[in-house]
Amino acid sequence: MSSTTPSTELPMSPGQPVASAAPVASASEANPIHDAIAEAIAEHKVILFMKGTPEAPACGFSARTVAALQELDTPFAAVDILPDPRIRQELSAISNWPTIPQLFVNGELLGGCDIVMEMHESGELAEALV
Amino acid sequence: MPSAEDISKRIETAIAGATADVEDYTGTGDHFRATVTAAAFAGRSRIEQHRLVYEIFGTEIGGPIHALSLKTLVPQDAPSEGAPTPQPTTTQ
Repeated sequence: MSSTTPSTELPMSPGQPVASAAPVASASEANPIHDAIAEAIAEHKVILFMKGTPEAPACGFSARTVAALQELDTPFAAVDILPDPRIRQELSAISNWPTIPQLFVNGELLGGCDIVMEMHESGELAEALV
Repeated sequence: MPSAEDISKRIETAIAGATADVEDYTGTGDHFRATVTAAAFAGRSRIEQHRLVYEIFGTEIGGPIHALSLKTLVPQDAPSEGAPTPQPTTTQ
């Protein structure tokens, strides 16, 4: 039972438990978290998977990435991966990227914090977000 | 707990001809910053370049290695393989 509420929509299906002490279900079974993440990536032009929320980032890397997006006045969806370890696990399985944050634009992984910051400094980020 | 030197050696061993400059920026053996220069990066996107490095460490990233911040560079004399590769400008 978690009361964490990301400021932008959390694309987990309603009723999906976000915190669980039970062992993680076998990955070969139907995987609603995987599907919800894939759907969220497909549905949002710009979506950031991060630790914490844009208002209260829980990690410096997430905070810097949020700041770059906000500097460019980019509307973006944000998903907090912290409430359930399975979110991160499934996200990394989809993206083949081990770290958080992860920024997706038009359904594709643009990068993590390092790449987003490099692109922000060079002006490429603004172009990628158009 | 890996040291900056361990991380550097593993990158240089795994990617032929790479040089890795690694810093333990918190001094706690779990947050590292690496600048990796390798001809193997030529013709690959930044995402692919970073993946090549992350793959060396597998699940250690996010485990014992909390953070591995990366900057990847292609050596100036590396042959270009078509796709544009981000070439950071070095100071004159």
